[in-house]
Amino acid sequence: MDAQARSVLYRIIRRIPNRNIENLLKRWNCLSADQMRALDYTRPKWMIVEHVISFCEESRLGLKHVTNLEMIYRIENPDQGIWNACQLAEAQDDAVCVELTQFKEQFKAHLHGVIRHISIKMKKHEDEAIWIRIAWGDNFSKPNHLKPTYVVHHLHTSYVFISNLMAKHKIFLCQALVIATKHGSIKDGLLSTKSLNAMRDLLLRRYQQVFPNAHSRILQERNTLPSFPCIGKEHRDHEEIRHQMACEAFGHGAMPKLETAVYRLETRYKGNSNYTLSDKEEFFRGVVRFSSSSLLESLRHCVASGMAEGPVTPLLSAITQRGRNYFVITDKGPGVSSQASAQRA
Amino acid sequence: MADLSNLTGLVSEPSGESDSSASSASNRSLRLAEKQKRKGEADPFGVAVKFLSQVEAGTVVRGNDELERNIVVVETVAVSKGLSPEVITVLLDLALSLNAGTANCTRVLKFLIPATVVPQEAIVKGVSWLCVGKMPINAQVLFVRWVLTVFDLIDCKDNLRSIYGFIFSFVTEENLCPFICHLLYLLTMREQVHPYRVRKLLDIQAKMGRQPFLTQLLVLYKVFRPDLVMLSHPARVRTGFKNHNSTWKVALSAVQRKNKGAVLVDQSLSLDVKEKPSSRKRKLHHLAIPPLSSAFDSNSSKKAFRLQELRSFKELLENIHNIELPAQMGSLLGSALALHYLDCVQDESAFLRLNFWLGHSLQEEFLLCPVDGSSDNTSEACRFLSTILFSQQFLQEGFSSTESFLYKFLSVWDGSLLRPQILDLLSDIPLMPSFYMHKLLFEPLKQLYFTSTVFFKCSVIECLNSMLVKWLTWHSVSASEGGLDISLNSNSTMTMTLSGFMDSVMELVRFVGLLASEGLRLENCHILLLNQTLAFYETVCDMFLKYSLPLVIMPPAGVFYPALFATDSISVDRLGYIMYRYRKNLTLAKKQEQQREQTFHISRNTYKEFNRNLQAMVNSMWNSWWGIPGSDLEIDKDLIALSKVSEPWCRFDLIHHPALFSYAIEFHQRCWPERKDVDLGSIKTGKYWNWYMEFLFNQGFDGLNNFIQTNTGHGISCQDDRQPSSQT
Amino acid sequence: MSLLRPYSKVPELITATVLLVENEEEFQSKLADAIVQHEKEFNVNVRLARKLPLPVENKETRPRIDLIVFIISLLSQRSLQSVEGSLAHLHSDCFLGKVCFLVTDARCGSHTQERLVRVRKLAASHQCPVLCAEHRTADGVIAASVRILNILKVSAGMSPIATTALYLSSLTRCSATSDLEED
Repeated sequence: MDAQARSVLYRIIRRIPNRNIENLLKRWNCLSADQMRALDYTRPKWMIVEHVISFCEESRLGLKHVTNLEMIYRIENPDQGIWNACQLAEAQDDAVCVELTQFKEQFKAHLHGVIRHISIKMKKHEDEAIWIRIAWGDNFSKPNHLKPTYVVHHLHTSYVFISNLMAKHKIFLCQALVIATKHGSIKDGLLSTKSLNAMRDLLLRRYQQVFPNAHSRILQERNTLPSFPCIGKEHRDHEEIRHQMACEAFGHGAMPKLETAVYRLETRYKGNSNYTLSDKEEFFRGVVRFSSSSLLESLRHCVASGMAEGPVTPLLSAITQRGRNYFVITDKGPGVSSQASAQRA
Repeated sequence: MADLSNLTGLVSEPSGESDSSASSASNRSLRLAEKQKRKGEADPFGVAVKFLSQVEAGTVVRGNDELERNIVVVETVAVSKGLSPEVITVLLDLALSLNAGTANCTRVLKFLIPATVVPQEAIVKGVSWLCVGKMPINAQVLFVRWVLTVFDLIDCKDNLRSIYGFIFSFVTEENLCPFICHLLYLLTMREQVHPYRVRKLLDIQAKMGRQPFLTQLLVLYKVFRPDLVMLSHPARVRTGFKNHNSTWKVALSAVQRKNKGAVLVDQSLSLDVKEKPSSRKRKLHHLAIPPLSSAFDSNSSKKAFRLQELRSFKELLENIHNIELPAQMGSLLGSALALHYLDCVQDESAFLRLNFWLGHSLQEEFLLCPVDGSSDNTSEACRFLSTILFSQQFLQEGFSSTESFLYKFLSVWDGSLLRPQILDLLSDIPLMPSFYMHKLLFEPLKQLYFTSTVFFKCSVIECLNSMLVKWLTWHSVSASEGGLDISLNSNSTMTMTLSGFMDSVMELVRFVGLLASEGLRLENCHILLLNQTLAFYETVCDMFLKYSLPLVIMPPAGVFYPALFATDSISVDRLGYIMYRYRKNLTLAKKQEQQREQTFHISRNTYKEFNRNLQAMVNSMWNSWWGIPGSDLEIDKDLIALSKVSEPWCRFDLIHHPALFSYAIEFHQRCWPERKDVDLGSIKTGKYWNWYMEFLFNQGFDGLNNFIQTNTGHGISCQDDRQPSSQT
Repeated sequence: MSLLRPYSKVPELITATVLLVENEEEFQSKLADAIVQHEKEFNVNVRLARKLPLPVENKETRPRIDLIVFIISLLSQRSLQSVEGSLAHLHSDCFLGKVCFLVTDARCGSHTQERLVRVRKLAASHQCPVLCAEHRTADGVIAASVRILNILKVSAGMSPIATTALYLSSLTRCSATSDLEED
C-alpha cells in the first residue's frame, strides 16, 4: 500500500463515527472475517486505521480497493460538500436511447483521450443514479486521489450533479458529459446546496406540488378547523388564501432541504421622481442571502403564517419554479429590486 | 491485543477523541509501543514517566518517536484515570520548560488531569517558568487557565500566596490579565492588599476600561481594605468571572467521578442545567469541579484549611481562623458546615463572593433563558432554588442577590412557574423601606394576585404572613439587643429607625388587608382564603404582646364581616380568638401608656375601630341585636322585612349563626330527644343556655370561649350579665 | 372605520366570549384549547384573530366580546407594533376593564426587558393589566389560560358577588414602570 492509498483510507475513516466503521468495512467486503473480528471499534481512530492498514497490507489490497471504499462511503453519505447542478440542453434525437454501457464507454473514452493521467470509476446506485468518481491528474502528474470529483447523473434526465470540481477540469467534464449523453450543450444550473437529495428532489420535481386551482381541493386536507366548536377564527378566509398561495409557490408536504438562496443585486437606485442617487451609471451592488436549515419550509411558513404580507414575490417562487437558488437581479430583469427587501427566512 | 487489557477501556473516555488528531503523527510510534508491550513490560506508564522526567533541554522533538510514544502512554492514562501529584509535577515541569517543544507544551497541559490533588510546589514552579518568559503567550494563558480549573484541587496555597507579588506582576500582560485577575481574586487575603497594587489596578483600569474582571478584583480589595480603595463601584456588578475550565471539564469530571464513585453526586450541587451547545454564553458545568472528599496526609504543615475538607463541626471549630474559601462559592450552599462557617465568621468577602456567584447564576438561569425554549429543566431549577432556600433558612436571612433577583423575577413571573420555591424565597426578603416595598414588591404582586386563582391568592397571603413573622422576629431580637436602629441584614450596613420599621410593617399589613378583602370579594369568601387571611391577622393582632412592637392594626371590614358571618365554624372561632388577642394587646398598651405616660403610635381611631368591631360581634352573637348605633352599618328595618326572614335580629347569634347552627341542632336533640319539632329558642332559657355554652366550648371553640369570657364575663355562674364590658 | 364595541350586542346566556389577538398565531391556538378545556362554571367562546379590525363579514355571527387579550411575543418587534396598531380599532369603552395584554418570552434576555417596559407603558396608558406567560411549557399554558378565565369571569359579569370589570381593572391595571428596573 502506498502513501496515497494510506492517506485516502485515513481520510475516510477519520470522517466516520466509530460505530459506523464496522458497517462500512462489511459492505466493502475486502477484509476477511477474521480480520473484521480482530478490530476493536472502541479504540481511538488512529489505532483502528493502523490496524486496517496492516490488514490491507496482509491481504495485498491497493489503491483501487481504497477508492472503492471511498465511493461506497460517499454514496451512502451524499450530503457532504457542496453540490452544483448542471443542465443539459439540446438533446439529440437518440438521447433517450442512451444505455449505461454506452454512456460509460463514451465518457471514459473521451476523458482518457483528453487527459493522460486520470482515474475514472463508475457505479450504478440502486436508484438508477450513476455515480462517477474522477481523480484528476495531468500530463505530468498522477491522478490526485485526495481530491476526487464526484458526478451523479440519472440517465435520460437533463440534470447532472457535480461536487468538488476544479475550474480547470470543468471543460473536460462538460464535454465528456455532453458527448456521452448525446446532448448539444450544457450550462450551469445556478443551484448549489449541501444536500444531493434536496437538489435531486427539487430539479426532478420529486416533491408534492400544488397547482393553482379555482376549487383548491388540496386545502381541504389541511385541518384548518379548530379542535373545539366554540373556538372561532376571525381571519379564517384570509388564512386559507395565504396557505393556498404558499403551497402554490413552494409545494405541499415535505420540501427539499435547501439551505441558502442568494440574490445578487445589480440595480440602480430609483427615487420617487426618477431621481438617481448618483449620476454615474454605476450599479448598486449587494448580495441578499437567505439561509435556514430548510429554506423552502421557512419561506412557505413565512407566507402561510402571514409574516410576509401580500402575494409571494416571483423572486422567491422562482426557487422552486426554476430550480435555482442563485439569482442576479438587474434593472431589466423580471423582478424589481425593491421586492428583495429584507424579509428574513 | 489482549494483553493491552490493562489499558483498554481508557480510550472510551469522551475526551480521548480530542487527542486523536494530535496523535496522527504517532501512528508508527504506537505500533512500536505495542510491540514493546507485547514483550511483557511490567509498568509501561512508570517507564514512560521516568523517560519524560529525563527529557533535557534541546531535545530534538520532530520525529522523536521515543518521546512521542511515551507521551501517548501517559496521555492515555491521564484522560482515563488521572495523574498522581508526583506525575503532575514532572509533566508540568516538562511542559513549561519547553524541553519537549512548544507544541508538546500545550498538548501536555491539555491532558494534565489530576487524579487526586495538585501539589502546590508544581504550581509555584510553573509560575517561575512563567516568569522566565520563554513560553508563547497561548501557552501562558493555557497554563493559568489550567491553574484556575484545578484551583480547588491544589493541596495548600500558602506558598502560592507568598509569591502573590510575582503573580500580580502579570496583570500588565494584556492577554493574561483576565485570568490573572481571577487567580488573584481567589488567592487574595487581607495582607496582600497594598496601596501600590491598588494603584496598579486602577492604572490598568484607566487603560483597559471598566473590565468586569478588574472591577471584581478591586471590589474584593475594597472589602479587605476599604481605606485604600476609593473607587465607587456599581452597586451590583453583574457578571463575575467567566469559567475557564472548558478544555478540561469533561475529562476532569469523568476522572473525578470515576475516582470518587457515587459519593460525590449528592454533594456537588450541579447547575449544569443546559448542556446545549446553542447557548454558548451560558456557563456550562458551573460547579462541575466537585468538592474534594478524599483524605490526604493532613499532617503536612499547611496553614490554611479548605472548607471542602471539613468533615465535622469540631474540625470547623479548630480551624475556623484559617479557613480557605473554595473557588466556586456556590458549593458552599449545600453544606451545613460551610454555612455554619459563613454564619459565625461574618466574613464580608465570603458573602460578597457568594452573592456575586449567586446573582450571576440566578440571572443566567432564570432571566436569560435561551430563545429556543429548552426549558424542560424545572426539576433542576427547583432543586437549585430549594438549596438556596435551605441555606437561607439555615442562616435565617436572605441573600441580597436572591432579593434583587426576586424583584426582577416578579415582574416577569407568570404566577405558576416554580411557585412554591419563589414564594418561599419571597418570604425571606429582609425588611425594606416602605417606598421600595410598594414599587418592587406590592405592584407586581398585586397584578399577579388579582388575576390568579384562589390557590395562588392563598399562597401569597401565606407567604406574606411568614414574611411578617420573620420581620417581627428580627425586630424583637434586634430591639432587645438595644437601640432603635435595626440593621437590616447581618452583613449590611443599612439601618432603619423604629418608625421606619413600623411604617414598613404598617404598609405590609395594609397591603395584605387590601389583598384579603378584595380577594374575598372576588372569590366569594372562599373558605381557604378566609382562613389564610385570619392566620395573617393572628400574627397581626399579637404584634405588641408577642413581638413588643407598639403597633395595633385592625382588620378591614372586608375581612372582619366575612369572617363574622362565615358559614364555617373554624373561621368564626378564629375571629373570636383574634378579637380576644386584640383586646389583650390593647389593654396592655393602654395600661403601659397610663403607667409610663409614653406615647404610643396606637391612635384613638384604632380603639374606636376595635370597639366598633367588638360591638358588632357581641351584638350579633350574644345580644341578638342588630345594627350599631352611630355606625354606617345600620340596615333599614323595612329592607330586612322584605326578605321575610323571621326574627332577623337573632339570625347570627350563637344558636342561629350558620356556622354554629348544626351544633345547636345537635344540642337540641340531646336535650330533648323525644321532641319532634325543633324549637331552638328553648335553648336560651334557664340552665340550658349554660349547658349549651359548655357544650359549644367543649367542641374545641377555644377562640370563641376566650372571646365570650373576656367580653361578656360569662362564666357558668353568672348567666345574666350579657352586657359587653369592653369600654377600654 | 368600525370600532369594536363591548356593549353593542346582547350577551348570551351563561356564556362569555374572549378574543385572542396575536399577530404570529403561535400561542393563540394552544391558549384557546387550554381555555376551552379548562373546567368552569360557564360556557366560553374563543375568537382568534391576527389583528384588529375584525373582518366585517363576521360581524353578524360574532358574539359579544367580553374580553380582548392581546398576545405579544417580546422576541418580535413586529408583534408589539401590530398590537399598537390594533388598539386604535377599539372603542374606548373596552378600556374599562375589557382589555389585557399577555406577554410571552419575557425572560429571554435584555432586549426583551426593554420591550417589556414599552409594553408596560402602553398598558399603563390604556389602564390595562399585563400578564406574563410561559408559553413553551404545558403548565405555563394552563396557568395562563386560568388567569385569562379569571379575568374573563369578572369582565363578563359572571362573578358571583357583583364585581365589575372596571373595578377589577382598577386593582390589576399596570402602573407606569419608569424606574423599576434600576434596583
